[in-house]
Amino acid sequence: MDSLEKLKILTDAAKYDVACTSSGVDRKGTRAGLGSASACGICHTFSADGRCVSLLKILMTNVCVFDCQYCANRRSNDVPRAAFTPREIAELTIRFYKRNYIEGLFLSSAVIKSPDYTMEMLLATLRLVRGEYRFNGYIHVKAIPGADPALVQAAGAEADRMSVNIELPSEESLGTFAPEKTKSSILTPMKLIKNRIIQTKDEITRFRSAPKFVPAGQSTQMIVGATPESDSRIVRLAEGLYSQYKLKRVFYSAFIPVAGANPLLPAVSPPLLREHRLYQADWLLRFYGFTSNELFNRENENLNLNMDPKCHWALNHIERFPVEINRADYLLLLRVPGIGQRSAMKILSARRVGKLDFAHLKKMGVVLKRAKYFITCGGKMMERTPMIPEILEARLSENKIDERYAQIGLFDGENAALAAPDDRRKDAPLLGGLT
Amino acid sequence: MSGYVVLFDGSLDGLLCAVYAYYYDKILPLSIQTEDEYQPMLGAENYFVASDPEKAKRVWEGIRKKISPGAAYNVYTAFLSGEVEKHMAIFKYIVLGFKRGASVDNRLQEDCVLRVHKLARMTGYEAHMLSGFCRFAETKQGAYYCAISPKHRVLQLLAEHFRDRFMNHAWVIHDKKRGEAAVYDGNDYVIVDAPKDAAVEYSDDETRARDMWAAFFSTIAIKERVNKNAQRRHAALYFRANMLEFL
Repeated sequence: MDSLEKLKILTDAAKYDVACTSSGVDRKGTRAGLGSASACGICHTFSADGRCVSLLKILMTNVCVFDCQYCANRRSNDVPRAAFTPREIAELTIRFYKRNYIEGLFLSSAVIKSPDYTMEMLLATLRLVRGEYRFNGYIHVKAIPGADPALVQAAGAEADRMSVNIELPSEESLGTFAPEKTKSSILTPMKLIKNRIIQTKDEITRFRSAPKFVPAGQSTQMIVGATPESDSRIVRLAEGLYSQYKLKRVFYSAFIPVAGANPLLPAVSPPLLREHRLYQADWLLRFYGFTSNELFNRENENLNLNMDPKCHWALNHIERFPVEINRADYLLLLRVPGIGQRSAMKILSARRVGKLDFAHLKKMGVVLKRAKYFITCGGKMMERTPMIPEILEARLSENKIDERYAQIGLFDGENAALAAPDDRRKDAPLLGGLT
Repeated sequence: MSGYVVLFDGSLDGLLCAVYAYYYDKILPLSIQTEDEYQPMLGAENYFVASDPEKAKRVWEGIRKKISPGAAYNVYTAFLSGEVEKHMAIFKYIVLGFKRGASVDNRLQEDCVLRVHKLARMTGYEAHMLSGFCRFAETKQGAYYCAISPKHRVLQLLAEHFRDRFMNHAWVIHDKKRGEAAVYDGNDYVIVDAPKDAAVEYSDDETRARDMWAAFFSTIAIKERVNKNAQRRHAALYFRANMLEFL
């Protein structure tokens, strides 16, 4: 088969993997090798779906012995199959890297013959790329569930990041849709990688030349919307992975219906907004000091699709607002909807030398669209919106206009026109007598 | 001290000499302009500041030591910006810095500080994006050639990045807009004047590599999630003139 044809098949098969980040490790170039790595990560282009393309993301092969129902490469699916040799991958990587098309390689694979055999192939490729081709750029490699720990460990010594995909967020779902995978076959390599990372970090503090192991950490991916798990379950699982397995990232991937799939899987378009909300919640866990218990309660098993999770939390904890910009500490500032780490840091440093008012915030680039309802500057609010959750909710909803204030249709009938409120000006109080 | 329209030659040294002149010759600028962009101002005399490397170095070292190395970097990257009307803001930032020390970067209430931060951020952002977006092509001679047309003068920032990354082979980055190029010979790079257009002969492997890249790029997108707005937000149209996959 022509290698161009192969590239198409194996890229197509790899595209559903979300992770394409190249961040987390800073490595200088060397005289002996080709390439370097940059901790902030570099995007090399953006594909038509708006995702960053940073790495050459391909499968070693899409020939698979597994039959996971959600996956396009399952053995029962009728798709063209192909396989790369390690040398083909190495040459392609170098060719692309020298032209600055990519930041490195993201190598994954379907399970060919057995997990051990697949992992050996991945390892052989990494050794060729790092060894003979002296490639010093970024490498992300998949650990194949069920592969021998020694192979996983050896691959980790060559890679910058490793990942094992959880795919479905509960054991029952895995049992139904991925019969060959079990919870333990996924968690075992994850634990192995975690322990080895911790061990290496310890060694490096003692011996400067100790070999590195997966310096950019490990990540995983979950498919959202294929199975009935609630957001709360997914976020709690992610929280556990961050704290117990020390993961760098958990990726969420909205399920995309695959042709001829198991009828138990949904056939609707991908739940993109839900995926977006999960990422927002994920950020709150990692950077904003939130815990999953704060985001969910008995009534709310799922995230609110109308507003971001921080807004939702703020409306449910209205007693903690407004926050005084000139006095609140960093963690409290981070709790204000619309204020992120960058804005919070700017506020901290600017107020060290003088008082801040709303005009200053605006000039500094702090986005006030949502924040203005929750903050005071020198004791004053920006607008006189009453601090009542129902009113704020109407102002902050993104996707749905509260039906009480819906656009009047020409033929809605006289009653509808009479019932519609006449004043929708921005600053007018929505409910009389409450201001 | 009455004000002047201060003219300089457009180099960073020249601008630093305007700062020197403010302190040592009591030249208060109302406006700082390059000779080419000179616009007269009513009721103000002109004052021409000559570039003097010695004086410029003194001011530069002063910024590094009395303000902070970070402030010096801000001055440098803000100066590389392609925006007009940047000189006066940089001048004010330096003067405020000499008065307040390292805390000048905290003073986000001051317009000149915000402006310099913004200019520096814009330049740094473009250099960062280009470090991913610029495309090299293999020439017949074996060196790698890359053309850019950036809004800001990021050539040197890019060259620093690629000197580390591609240490072992020769490359050229050509700023077509400003007619200059960074040329790396395997040891170090120099920035030289270059014509705005260059005829480059590509190697035999080049077409093949480009075809592979085009195939990869179009296949990696998930058709069910096409989002051209997001794509444009991240890869702005003006970058795409030099990006193969968008041609």
